[in-house]
Parts: sequence; C-alpha cells; structure tokens
Amino acid sequence: MDHPPALTTGTTPHRPAGPRTLHRFANPGRFLRATARVMPFLWGASILVLGVGLAWGLWFSPPDWQQGETVRIMYVHVPMAWLAMGGYTGLAVLSVMSLIWRHPLADLTARELSPVGAAATALCLVTGSLWGKPMWGTWWVWDARLTSVLVLFFLWLGHAALVRAFDDAERGARAGAILALVGIVNVPIVKFSVDWWNTLHQPASVTRLDAPGMHVDILYPLLTCALGFTLLFGTVVLARTRAAVMERRVRALQFARARREDAVPA
Amino acid sequence: MTRKKRRLMVLLLAGLGLGTATALTLTAFQDNLVFFLSPSDVIAQRPTGDRAIRLGGLVETGSVERRTGADGRPAATFRISDGPNAISVTYAGVLPDLFREGQGVVTLGRLLPDGSFRATEVLARHDETYMPPEVADALRRSGHWNPSQGAAPPAETWNTAPRNGRSGG
Amino acid sequence: MTLHWWHITLSYLLTFGVFAALAIGAALRHRAARRLLDTLDPRADRRGEQP
Repeated sequence: MDHPPALTTGTTPHRPAGPRTLHRFANPGRFLRATARVMPFLWGASILVLGVGLAWGLWFSPPDWQQGETVRIMYVHVPMAWLAMGGYTGLAVLSVMSLIWRHPLADLTARELSPVGAAATALCLVTGSLWGKPMWGTWWVWDARLTSVLVLFFLWLGHAALVRAFDDAERGARAGAILALVGIVNVPIVKFSVDWWNTLHQPASVTRLDAPGMHVDILYPLLTCALGFTLLFGTVVLARTRAAVMERRVRALQFARARREDAVPA
Repeated sequence: MTRKKRRLMVLLLAGLGLGTATALTLTAFQDNLVFFLSPSDVIAQRPTGDRAIRLGGLVETGSVERRTGADGRPAATFRISDGPNAISVTYAGVLPDLFREGQGVVTLGRLLPDGSFRATEVLARHDETYMPPEVADALRRSGHWNPSQGAAPPAETWNTAPRNGRSGG
Repeated sequence: MTLHWWHITLSYLLTFGVFAALAIGAALRHRAARRLLDTLDPRADRRGEQP
C-alpha cells in the first residue's frame, strides 16, 4: 500500500497524507489510483461532447443575420477564451496551494497545465484574428481586450518556461507560482476591459445564462463546444499530470536500482 | 500551522499591494487605454494637428453617401454619432462588409480645420447580439426593430423565438 | 469555397488539430510512463493502478 518515501517523493519533500486535507491527494499512489478509474470516461465524454458540438456548430446551427456563416468561428474562439482565463485562474489556485501548503501535486499539475493553457490562449488569439479580418476589417488592433489577452499568452508562456528553467524542480515551481500569482491581476483586466474602456472588441454576450444576448440556436452549440473543450482540456492536463507522477516514480526507482548496483561489490 | 498562516498573510498582503498598484496605474493611464474617441470627446478636445486619432460611434441613419472617387476607387461620406453629437467623415476605400447605417464603426484619421474628419481606415464594430436571419426578419416585419435605427430590442424578447417560417435571409 | 468559409475551416482545423495533438501526446506519454513503471515496479498491477 505505502511506498517507501524515497520512491514516492522524487525531489519534493514528502508530507504525511492526512485524511481530511488536500494532502489526501498529495500521496502520488493514491492520486494515481483515484484518477485511473475515471480516465477512460473522461476521454470518452470529451470526444462525445466535442463531436456533437462540432457537428452542431458547423452544420446544424443558423448563420447570424449580419455576420453570416463567419459567426461559426465563435464556437471555437469563445471556448478558447474561457479556457485561457479559467485555466489561468486554476493555475493561480494551484500556485496558492503550492506556496502556502507546499502541495507537491499542485506543483506538478501547474507545470503540466501551463503549456496546455498557452496553446488555448494562442488558439484564442489566432481564431480571433481569423474572425476579425472578415468582420471588423483587420487582423489585429491594439485595443485593451486584444492586448490584455496577448499579455495573458505571454504569462502562460513565461510560467511554462520558468518552471523548467531551474535544476531544482522545487525552486522552479516556487518561482512559477509567484509569477502566476502576479499575473492573476491580468485576468480581471481581460474580463472587464470591454466594460472599463471602449474597445473594438464587443462586450460579453453571455453574462448571465438566463439572459444571453444571443439566440438559443446559437447559444446551445456554443455551450456544448465550451463543455467539450473544457472536458478535453481537463482530461489532457490530468493525463499529463498522471504521466508526470509516474515518470517521477520511474526516475526514483531507476535511481534506487542504480544505487543498489553500486553498493554491490564488483 | 503558524508558518502556513504567515505565508497566507504574506500572500494576501502582496496581493493587496499588487492589486492597488495595478488599479492606480490603470486609472492613471485611463486616457491611453481607450481605443477610440466619441464625437463628443473630439468636439471637446479638438485634437487637430498631425497626430492621427480614432473616432468611433454609430453610423447615423440616412447619412451614408457612397460614390466613386476621382481615381475610380469607391469613396463614402457618412456621419458618426454618439447621440448628442455627430461628426461627418469622408473615406476613400472599400468599406468593411458589416458597414451599414446604425452600425458601430471605428475610424482612424485626422480632424480637418473645418471640423470634419478624413478617415484613412474604417473598422466595423459589431455588438454583442447574435440572432439567426429569420428572427431578425421577423422582428423587422413586426416593427419591433429597425437595425438602421439602433440596437436590437432586449434579448429576452427574441432569444427563444422559433426559427420556422424560413425566409431566404 | 468563399473567403469566409476558408476562415471558418482554418479556425476549426487549427483548434481541433492542436487539441487532438495535445490529447494524443498526453495519451502516448501516459502509456509510455505506465509501461516503464510496470517493468520497473511490477507490484503496481496488484495495487489496481491499471484501469
């Protein structure tokens, strides 16, 4: 049941897993066992929901009365924007767990989260550009919304690079957590930029689910795509974190084996 | 537990400081963070001279005149309004697809001494409403909305309207 | 195909392509790590870490 400490910890100091705190999942073996069962369901649900969302968004939803078919870019652009901001908020929560409770799994998850978040933010920017050219008449403007999302992209990239820049993984995680928490001020700026200043980008349509500024035939495929991409995003991050936990234990086992072989006199 | 509490306090204090600093900075740069000026802003500030400015607002109903310029390129004059004030704009070039009366636009250009605006770039700014063509048609036919007069009626009056009776929009 | 549809197609291809690549990459890395762990630590099977 329990692994010898040297095998479970890798580089981060091991803490006893208390039953009532978040440290329950700090035990890597317990984390792997608890998540192993749900992985196939998560993959299946992601693919199913995204398949429905893709078909709905591309074929079974109406065009917009003035944007025409181009409105379909929204079904990929808006979920990417929500994931860029929601994922970054998740990164900030993980950073708090890392800095205050020194939660080793939070460090690993943050490390595996930031490249995926950077990808989502890059896709948000690129699909936004592909939408802006035919609708606004420009690929890019330096308004408050677009600029703050570009800053968000650089924060994601910076975090991904910083946590990998240290030989000591724990110091890298600490530096990354501080960067992530400093960068969190940008999230409300992204969200409210369209309300605080005038921008070329339009204000939010879905502020409250009961009174969206869009027709339900456009809203439902959007929500389906958003759910599908969120599921896939979470599943990818979870799979990467599980892989990272296993890789860490592989390194520890290889190190222990090498040491045993060294100890045997030739 | 005390060490964890201390770390939490340090984090909260740092967050408070960072938040305050950001809010102050953003307030200080308020004027530079707006993407465009409204006709009222432009009339109040009269930013003449060499610096190009962005003027934005709604295209006034009945003000658009499209013609062909001396060089054979399309050109247009129209008025940009924010309600109380309006400025007339001349532009030579192709207008974006979404350009129409009642639509939001942002133009880049210079204010001329006579108080009119010569734009070198016109960008369309669409609002946050999305509706199928059939629903827009129904609202127009029933007299609830004229898109050239302004924004769509409140969303809850149409966002669950059925889309049958397709008319080739 | 009109220009608008080119923009739509490119947006969908990019988004679904990047996410498919991320998913396949994560799944392959996950499988490789599990195989390596199984050879190094065969007890893992009996602890029920396999789905």
